[in-house]
Amino acid sequence: MRALSLLTATGTAGLLLMGCQGGLQPLPGLNQQLIRLGESQSPSLASDWLALIATRPGGRAQVQLIDRRRNAPVPLLGLNRPDSLPISVAVDHRGEHLAVVRQRDDRSELVLYRRSIQATQLVPIEPAGVPSRVTINADGRVLAVEVSRSGLWQVDLLELP
Amino acid sequence: MVLHHATTAHASTTKHLLPLACVLGLALSSCALMPLRRQPAAPTGLGAESRQQPALSGDGRLLASLVERAGRTTVLLQERQSGRVLPLRHLRNRQPHSSPSLSWNGRYLAVVVQQGGRRQAVIEDRATGQQHPLFLPAGQEPQQLSLAPDGQSIALELIQSGSQRLQLFSLSAMLEPDRPPGLRESGGGPSAQP
Repeated sequence: MRALSLLTATGTAGLLLMGCQGGLQPLPGLNQQLIRLGESQSPSLASDWLALIATRPGGRAQVQLIDRRRNAPVPLLGLNRPDSLPISVAVDHRGEHLAVVRQRDDRSELVLYRRSIQATQLVPIEPAGVPSRVTINADGRVLAVEVSRSGLWQVDLLELP
Repeated sequence: MVLHHATTAHASTTKHLLPLACVLGLALSSCALMPLRRQPAAPTGLGAESRQQPALSGDGRLLASLVERAGRTTVLLQERQSGRVLPLRHLRNRQPHSSPSLSWNGRYLAVVVQQGGRRQAVIEDRATGQQHPLFLPAGQEPQQLSLAPDGQSIALELIQSGSQRLQLFSLSAMLEPDRPPGLRESGGGPSAQP
């Protein structure tokens, strides 16, 4: 009898808990892929794409772009360099533009990568400052960059034509 | 005063940068890359204060960032072009805020807040005024998040066994989509009173 009461109580608690968490459902296929990539951070999510910084055990941090329709990474030729360390990444809605803040030669720089032509463009910070975090809007036309300048954190907004 | 100075300084800088941008544009055209146009971040109304962790709505119309209010790190939502501040209903007294993220039209704002002794991810629906706390298993706390522009999924950066891991979750049972204009099923939320 006591066991039955306990079972009922557990079931009720479970249902209540499900009610609390009801809207949040893990995406197992993609999460398995993320586990395979090692430590991961700095997510930037689009409907069909996920950009992140991943570090495999014993490896270097690298920018990764995952195609959510296939749950698989796509190549980013020329973006990840052995002499640089990514700090922040952002991807647009089409997975075409990736904005990356990376550390290179003891300084931080902002670059814009266009995947279709595999080209990286250095984006100058003016007035001079140290970029640390970047975000991009869905159509890839506006960048917002967190910049440390003269002891103050600021946000620079850049528009692409 | 500070705001006026900042705006003037930017206008002057832009004027001088235009020829440079053209030269830069020509130089880059050979590799099919493009010049950039700079715009100062919208004023926060308190002069040259610190501003961190920017997030843009998918359409680029809204900017969320973190500012200090009475010594507490607080998310501020603004129209990018005008700087007009838009109201948020559920985030007061839950500072420090961190890692804001916006949906396509800015209907949804996801952010990490302080809930008692824990960090918690919440989503504010600006169209309905509802708040959606995201409950995670015990021992897991979000560090960073990114909301998909359509509001149908979210990536959470969690600390698990001492290492940083991303996990993705579907929100389709919780939120209706916030799609681009033309496909819109939802509004962009209320405007602030001046």
